[in-house]
Amino acid sequence: MERGIIAIAAALAVWVGFGTTFAEGSVARQAVESIGKNPEASDKIRSMAIVGAAISETVAIYGTLIAILLILVF
Amino acid sequence: MVVKVQAHVFSILLITVVLAVFLVIINRALKKFDPFDEPKGLVLLALMAVETVDKTVRTDVNDEIFENLGPYIGSLWGYIFLSSISGLFGIQAVPTSNYSVTLTLAIITVILVEYNSARYNGIKNYVHGLFEPVFLFLPMNLISKISPVISLSLRLFANILSGGIIMSLLYTAMSFFSSYIPLIGTFNIFGVVVAPILHMYFDLISGLLQTFIFTSLTIIFIGKELPQE
Repeated sequence: MERGIIAIAAALAVWVGFGTTFAEGSVARQAVESIGKNPEASDKIRSMAIVGAAISETVAIYGTLIAILLILVF
Repeated sequence: MVVKVQAHVFSILLITVVLAVFLVIINRALKKFDPFDEPKGLVLLALMAVETVDKTVRTDVNDEIFENLGPYIGSLWGYIFLSSISGLFGIQAVPTSNYSVTLTLAIITVILVEYNSARYNGIKNYVHGLFEPVFLFLPMNLISKISPVISLSLRLFANILSGGIIMSLLYTAMSFFSSYIPLIGTFNIFGVVVAPILHMYFDLISGLLQTFIFTSLTIIFIGKELPQE
């Protein structure tokens, strides 16, 4: 019983990825748009896009961390 | 007393030995190589790899760091990529799906970032930056120095681990389905059909992508802390 509730809690923790998906998609869309507008700045845009995607991904990673902690610690 | 050793230890040692042997072979080939000849084979491969790494590193950092950072980024590429695709060669315990490995790599990166920041901004400015904008923000600034360790290491770890888990789930499910086929039920026929494409994504593409992201983030984090000229 208790294990089952912990498993449900871990699955709920991973749901933060739902918003992150949209955020990373919009980062990629904007990067593609701006490379289309001025291709000569593609190196700078690429590094900014990677940083943006990485920072918005942090939330999903914390969700994963909480899920792992829930399963392994309790 | 029985000492338990994780299966990952052996695969980590194996990857290290393979990488070392490969680099020694390349070193032999490069020493024999005459600079006025046309490069081909192994020498051409090594030159192309070094050129690509140099081009990506040079965009974000200054020349002095570039000299030292290039080899580190190159070895990161070799190690993480080889580890991530080692699942294709039948290794069950992929090194990068062990949290110790990714945590070590992330700690090295963050120490490099802080060291270079302190060195090029000056110790005084570095310490002053901890208290910005006011004195009370010290704990938050310290947390923001630590958080890249967690995010960098968990990103690599979770991606590679989840790929491995999904593949093993897939093999189990497919062997369950194929057990309903008469005569050849013990042979996992659906797994043979479905697995190659998913292996292509979860091992090859995902490994390459995560390697690229880890190395790019290392370069960008170091370049971001440097003073702007």
